[in-house]
Amino acid sequence: MKTFKLENEPKIETGFKTPDHYFENFSIKMMEQLPKNEPKVISIFQKRKTLIMMAAAVLILALMIPILSPSSTNTKELDAVALENYITYQSNVNQYDLISVLETEDINNIKTGIVLEDEAIEDHLSTNSNLENLILE
Amino acid sequence: MQEEQEFINHLLDPKTQNQAFQQLLQDYQRPLYNHIRNIVLNHDDADDVLQNTFIKIFQNLKNFKGESKLFSWMYRIATNEALTFLKQKSKTSGISSETLQNKTIDNLEADVFFDGNEIQIKLQKAIALLPEKQQLVFKMKYFQELKYEEISEILGTTVGGLKASYHLAVKKIEAFVSTN
Repeated sequence: MKTFKLENEPKIETGFKTPDHYFENFSIKMMEQLPKNEPKVISIFQKRKTLIMMAAAVLILALMIPILSPSSTNTKELDAVALENYITYQSNVNQYDLISVLETEDINNIKTGIVLEDEAIEDHLSTNSNLENLILE
Repeated sequence: MQEEQEFINHLLDPKTQNQAFQQLLQDYQRPLYNHIRNIVLNHDDADDVLQNTFIKIFQNLKNFKGESKLFSWMYRIATNEALTFLKQKSKTSGISSETLQNKTIDNLEADVFFDGNEIQIKLQKAIALLPEKQQLVFKMKYFQELKYEEISEILGTTVGGLKASYHLAVKKIEAFVSTN
């Protein structure tokens, strides 16, 4: 087959046609589609849209502060540590104060706790090297 | 250039706007239509894209800085509109843009607004195989006979780069037509 060269050929047209009077009608159609106020209407809508988006963004951020803010979580952890330290080293609370606060029910609970651990005490005593000394005493 | 600035002022002034825009339509609807039609290939799509292009031009005239010529600015809008249109069309039909282009070329034979013979269809098929940029350059240079300087201002590519693209495109098209 012979080699095809674009420059040796007569120019190939696109072959595209338009309907009759297309461009005359297009101008008329286009001018009707361009009312003077149209761009303004669009700009107000866009402004309103931006406002709504901004409000939504601020609301979401505000809602996320308690969940995401690292400072508030840190404060909670620090509080627990500080409280423990306070009770251990600073406070005047002693075991008698604690006992006076306990209800009868709490004391019963503690008792059952002890009963349940009887076996453990037995084990502990049997393996304790000082057991004989204790019995002798 | 001064004349153009005056024309742009007429387009922006509400009193003269309608008349000036009518003039703009008269001057540019044909070249812009041809440019868009060369990209989207069928008349109905070209009609849609041309309308969107002129609406965009109308809305953005106030932002036109005069850094480039009005002509190349409008061509740029038309090119972007046409390419975006094709991307959306291929997305909504769920096929690649290459498949869409080949399908459109196959439909050309039955198109009442296409009056082409075998070689014209073959040329379109050869163009469809080129990368997007080479297609644009070839269509603007070969079909529309724009100058390299004009194409350069529209596509934002150097004249040297455009010449290389066109040369490559011609070689590939000739190879395709010779073997098919």
